[in-house]
Amino acid sequence: MAGALLTVQDLRVGFLTEQGLVRAVEGVSFDLEPGQTLGVVGESGSGKSVTAKALMNLLPSYAQVGGTVDFDGRDMFAMAASREKHFWGVEMTMVFQDPMTSLNPVKKVGEQIAESLRVHLGRSRRDALAEAGDLLEQVGIPEPGARLTQYPHELSGGLRQRVVIAMALACGPRLLIADEPTTALDVTVQKHILDLLDDLRRARGMAMILITHDLGVVKGRADEVMVMYAGHTMEEAPTTTLFAEMRHPYTEALLETIPRIDTPSHTRLVPIPGRPPEVIEVLDGCPFAPRCRYSIARCLTNQPDLTSHGAGHLCACHAPVGTPSGTQARSANESAGTTATGLDMDQFTRNVPVADPGQSGAEG
Amino acid sequence: MPADPNEHTTPSSRTAKYWRKESHVNVAHAARMAEPPAEPDADRAAPRRLGIIFWVAIGWILLVTTAAIVAPLLPIADPEQIGIGPRASGPTWDQWFGTDGNGRDMFSRTIWGARVSLMVGFFSIVAGFLVGGTMGIVSGYRRGWIDLVLGFVTYVMLSFPLLVLFLLVILLFGQGLWIVTGALSIVVIPSVARLARAITIVFAEREFVAAARLLGATNRRVMVREILPNVLIPMSALLLLGLGLTIVAEGGLAYLGLSVADGFSWGKMIQMGAGLRTLQTAPWVAFFPIGAMFLTVLSLNLAGDRLRQYFDIRELGIGSR
Amino acid sequence: MAGSGTAHLRGHDEMVLRVENLVMEFPAGHHQVVHAVSDVSFDIRRGETLGIVGESGCGKSTTARAIVQLPPPTSGRVVLDPGTDRETELTALVGEDLRQVRPRLQMIFQDPISSLNPRRRVRDIVGEGLHIWAEESDDERIRARVDEVLEAVGIDPTVAANRRPHEFSGGQCQRISIARAVVLEPEILICDEPVSALDVSVQAQILNLLEEMKLRYGLTLVFIGHDLSVVRNVSDRVIVMYLGKVCEVGGADALYSAPAHPYTRVLLASAPEPASTVDGSEAAIGDEIPSPMDPPSGCRFRTRCPRADDRCTTEEPILRTLDDDHFVACHYPTAAGPSGA
Repeated sequence: MAGALLTVQDLRVGFLTEQGLVRAVEGVSFDLEPGQTLGVVGESGSGKSVTAKALMNLLPSYAQVGGTVDFDGRDMFAMAASREKHFWGVEMTMVFQDPMTSLNPVKKVGEQIAESLRVHLGRSRRDALAEAGDLLEQVGIPEPGARLTQYPHELSGGLRQRVVIAMALACGPRLLIADEPTTALDVTVQKHILDLLDDLRRARGMAMILITHDLGVVKGRADEVMVMYAGHTMEEAPTTTLFAEMRHPYTEALLETIPRIDTPSHTRLVPIPGRPPEVIEVLDGCPFAPRCRYSIARCLTNQPDLTSHGAGHLCACHAPVGTPSGTQARSANESAGTTATGLDMDQFTRNVPVADPGQSGAEG
Repeated sequence: MPADPNEHTTPSSRTAKYWRKESHVNVAHAARMAEPPAEPDADRAAPRRLGIIFWVAIGWILLVTTAAIVAPLLPIADPEQIGIGPRASGPTWDQWFGTDGNGRDMFSRTIWGARVSLMVGFFSIVAGFLVGGTMGIVSGYRRGWIDLVLGFVTYVMLSFPLLVLFLLVILLFGQGLWIVTGALSIVVIPSVARLARAITIVFAEREFVAAARLLGATNRRVMVREILPNVLIPMSALLLLGLGLTIVAEGGLAYLGLSVADGFSWGKMIQMGAGLRTLQTAPWVAFFPIGAMFLTVLSLNLAGDRLRQYFDIRELGIGSR
Repeated sequence: MAGSGTAHLRGHDEMVLRVENLVMEFPAGHHQVVHAVSDVSFDIRRGETLGIVGESGCGKSTTARAIVQLPPPTSGRVVLDPGTDRETELTALVGEDLRQVRPRLQMIFQDPISSLNPRRRVRDIVGEGLHIWAEESDDERIRARVDEVLEAVGIDPTVAANRRPHEFSGGQCQRISIARAVVLEPEILICDEPVSALDVSVQAQILNLLEEMKLRYGLTLVFIGHDLSVVRNVSDRVIVMYLGKVCEVGGADALYSAPAHPYTRVLLASAPEPASTVDGSEAAIGDEIPSPMDPPSGCRFRTRCPRADDRCTTEEPILRTLDDDHFVACHYPTAAGPSGA
């Protein structure tokens, strides 16, 4: 895409360990345009955080990285090799799940924000502190002047995360990566932080990658969503498209397995059997096939490629939800009582009370 | 793996047969490794093998221990027999380590000296671990007034001048093997107690302890079944380090003439060989016991340290390095 | 809010547990006291699932621990089988007497790894309760029983029984914890955030398993959580807590479809996908939670409440009936029933 700020192509990350090469990210590609939000959704081991670390040049030395990352016409891995100082932390910044990993517990909040302004933008100490105060105000911290001289431990979890966001914004980044920014926070605080990130993104025209395990978090916030599983991209689509006509069985299963706030109590949840793969090996087939209701023989032998399902909608599946092949695969599995990977189909329907309208829409 | 409807019941199950068996490694683990940026990765990955140095050290320890135990059966000279060779002669084919001023065989004496050194060292460290470990676990688990009392006892033991303590013990009870062993164990107890207490506190707050109490386990049962196994592993690595300490301590005492009266240890041999004249005329009399003690204590430290890393006590969040 | 009061207690019929005026305070140094739980009362009907929902620091986990006397509460009563001739006041028991009653209440915890002793084998972990109470050496019976319970929770005993916890995933560890808890056939199972540490795709398995266990072993559940959707899904009745006090109590569906307390409404509006019964804008409150060492006077929620006025500063709202089995501790609840501002 011509106007893309960030273009990631076939990103691969492996970790060389004593047991061999661990493949954490296997060929992830996406474009991100200026001012847009990409939501990356996945469970532990999906490779979502490793992708973020790769972009932030934060991988440990024993990591092996492949693919290309292009940031506004510049080759990011080349910048990493030449030890570019004023890119990470300036043009591209990151907010982590635990604010304390980014904060120095023995330094005052103001000093910490001012530091990057002084290092990267060459501000004087006085100017940097004044700017730090402004930043704190922008991230909605009450009495910013007084907070400048406080230490991180004197702040609540929500305020700490705001300080971290202020630090991330200090040098006016063009891309902010937020890795589970609210997972450690309480619900009432969570919404505020997410709204704040959204407002700041809009006001500053910056792009954002929002990484989360919760599909609900990206709904209504991200322009595009990428669903990852076992290091692979499963599905990628504009957010509204994804929720309205999801194609990947994993996306569908994730939505059905999570209890909804509006469904009556004791609604039986549709389980996803098994667990995310802990062991990654070079695959012949689809990594989700062993847990999938739609799996057919081909899923075991051929790894599905990402194929187009309409404008900007990609899905890697041999039997996508809502397509003739998917519908056929599922009904065949249902009548056989088992899937191609030997999954018992009864467990999905057992004891399910009358499905409420909210849920049945998702069924293929 | 099995067509189990729910979660696969086999630990770390391969999810299905069709995975190609080229490499099987752990994505979750890798992701975790890459997760917190502050994680000392190199450290984490380090000790999964004990290494050659460890085995050499263990070999030496075994050799010395075996020799000491079977000394009476070995075809070596009587260590107390005077005039087995010429007086104060250097190493020869007959007397490998030479002879001392009384013409006694130094090789045989070094082996026999190991008996007292190792015995005093071993039994005092074991006694110290038994008493100190129990004290630590009880005070770490029960807390409250028991902790206060035992903590006070520990502080008293730590702040009592050791030499005075030994003099006092020897004056009162004499210089028997078990007396000296007991006195040395008193030195070990407080440090062991504090460490055991620290480890216990970490584990006592884990939910599995609460779960055991909910099932109706008595305090004693919780301490023995839930806490002890978790304290034992990291502590056992320290046993070797402690043994090195007590052997050296016994040597120091012997040098001051405060150790076992009957028989002789490496320390006592060093003392006998360390007179200025002897050092000038027959340095081997002091050298061989010093060398034996040095190698043994070094081996104990190397092996102990390696074990400590191997069991990774840092994982418990206490005593870093 | 700030709910003291007992209007919501339901007499003695069929009640298996009753908590009265529970207070839990911890010393915090400098002569300060953490008011973790302040005057909380509730009861649980046999076979019911009671959900307790709230944010961190609301006292929900402390309440769970106080029910099982680990540690016992500062004051208040915890009574098993209230009003029957089997009535047992847990808070009055100590030592051996308490130990004898312990198996009737069991608990599972949030952290699946920390819940299991890393040095013991699954068979010993699950069989521990049986060994503690075994008459003599009935090892064979214990073995069979452990196998049976492991199978019930979906763990294959032939493969798993001789392994140690680190060989299992979080979800499997949680299954083993559940097996350990039900092996003594307790009456009440307290689940303290049992799925919060699990992957989303595994959560439903554990929640469904808890429902199965409840039927199979006739359990009464107390389910503590911070995820509003999860708590609604498993609960018959829900208590909303804030800063050590009860805000609102009611049947799960009634409470979620007509939330009356401003805090409940804020919670529902703050969820990633807000509930349809509230307006998303209601989530707009400050994110400074007051310190439990110095809780606000009157209603504890007033510092973040959009409706608070002088009365909320001076007068603590007491739980009162809003509707049939729907109680709220607020001076100005959202009117759905007879009362209201």
